[in-house]
Amino acid sequence: MIEVLHAGLCDLVMDPGRPGWAALGVPAGGAADPAALAAANRLVGNDAAAAGLEIVLRGPGLRFPVGGVVALAGARFAATRSSGAALAWNETLVLAAGETLRLEEAEVGCRCWLAVRGGLAVPPVMGSRSTFLPAGFGGYLGRALQAGDVLASGPQAEGIHLLRARMPLGERDTPLRVVAGPQADLFDDAGLAAFFAGTYRVGAASDRRGLRLAGPLVTHARTALPSQGVLPGAVQIPPDGQPIILGWDGPVTGGYPVIAGVIAADMPRVAQLRPGDPVRFVTIELEMARALAAARWDIEDIA
Amino acid sequence: MGKYTRGQSHVHPTWRWVSERGLRVATGDATLAYYAALVSQNFAEIDDIILADESLLLVLQRGAAVSADLRAVLMAPLLGTQAAIGKLHEIVVEYGGAAGPDLPLMADLAGMSLAAYINSHTAADYAVAFLGFQPGFPYLRGLPRALHAQRRASPRLRVAAGSVAIGGGYTGIYPACGPGGWQIIGRTRSVLFDPQRDAPALLMPGDRVRFVSL
Repeated sequence: MIEVLHAGLCDLVMDPGRPGWAALGVPAGGAADPAALAAANRLVGNDAAAAGLEIVLRGPGLRFPVGGVVALAGARFAATRSSGAALAWNETLVLAAGETLRLEEAEVGCRCWLAVRGGLAVPPVMGSRSTFLPAGFGGYLGRALQAGDVLASGPQAEGIHLLRARMPLGERDTPLRVVAGPQADLFDDAGLAAFFAGTYRVGAASDRRGLRLAGPLVTHARTALPSQGVLPGAVQIPPDGQPIILGWDGPVTGGYPVIAGVIAADMPRVAQLRPGDPVRFVTIELEMARALAAARWDIEDIA
Repeated sequence: MGKYTRGQSHVHPTWRWVSERGLRVATGDATLAYYAALVSQNFAEIDDIILADESLLLVLQRGAAVSADLRAVLMAPLLGTQAAIGKLHEIVVEYGGAAGPDLPLMADLAGMSLAAYINSHTAADYAVAFLGFQPGFPYLRGLPRALHAQRRASPRLRVAAGSVAIGGGYTGIYPACGPGGWQIIGRTRSVLFDPQRDAPALLMPGDRVRFVSL
């Protein structure tokens, strides 16, 4: 059981999401970095698909009246626990009864995932416990956590193993890798040059539906198309010429030309972009993108 | 890559990759038939299928290859194949007034009286082409030509749930309250989307719709 003492900026219950409902207009959603949530789950002895919390920029204060086993993965936040014990990322943490965990601001990056032994026991909706905020369902009452909420956890596995996860060594400070978009041919040379040579900044109005970028104007020949299916990572160029990277809760269809698609392997990096961060793009071959396996988190015993 | 040619159902569809997991299939007016064929065969490598304007986007599992069986379906002409005719729904609408603030403008643009406009909107047979924008939001094909209208130049920040609207050549219904750029002509009390129902979306691709004036 977890009591929410104070809410963070937007704490959402997430699991791997609900693929399979796109024909109804429902995106798959789920954790913005499913591998990070899966790693946190493994650290507490959960099934990798258990529900945990996705925490963004400023975290919540949580009290564990009967204690618990938790793990944090992803961006590091300033954080304290009431026992004063060390609060490491990517490790199994054992909390005493009545202990509180306070996550303040993210020190680097944007999002982290908190797994709780047993998983968060919210009712599944359309096959998933993930919150889908735009339509207000899934997760905890379809919304972000608020002070006073009480979260239950599910049945727990036997025995506690103290484990440590090693984050995959990803690309850093390099441009986001994209493959050419389905409507790349609708852009003129000036538009393509602006997009691929330019540095963009992540706008404040970004969320799980999309990251709004500000920077060099991407001009195009046509601005509206018949509605087409779109995926997270698609970079749309609306009439104002400022790119939008579609996020995990973005619409399943869109009518703006898509200049490029961020490859799946780099979407965990998109999950860590915060307002003001610089973004650049580089094209890679489709076959190369398809060959890139999901980054692997290695889990080992804490000696 | 070539384009699917309308009216030539012996031409097999063309497809292309969209990012590394998406396979866009140009299906022309056989979109629902292809969707039905793909769903019935339950391909293991397909995670999800997005229906849209004359195309499908197959979302493959990460790293999955296109199987020979899937390739065969995509290569096959759906000669004479019709998607099963869906359910017929009657949607009761309160036209105009506070429920449909754009009705006077829309009637004006169509050169009709309010009554004639409502008549025209209720007389047509509509088919659900696809759902998108919001969960359960139907893009309904069959809007009479005279009723086609551009979206609003600047979207409303708040459109009421159940709002019946015009967007280009489509009429649609907003399942939930939220921002929206279509022209609002009325409102229904029908619940278009409820994630707790066994069938969360009231209207499914291929279903038919008649509007009835309250």
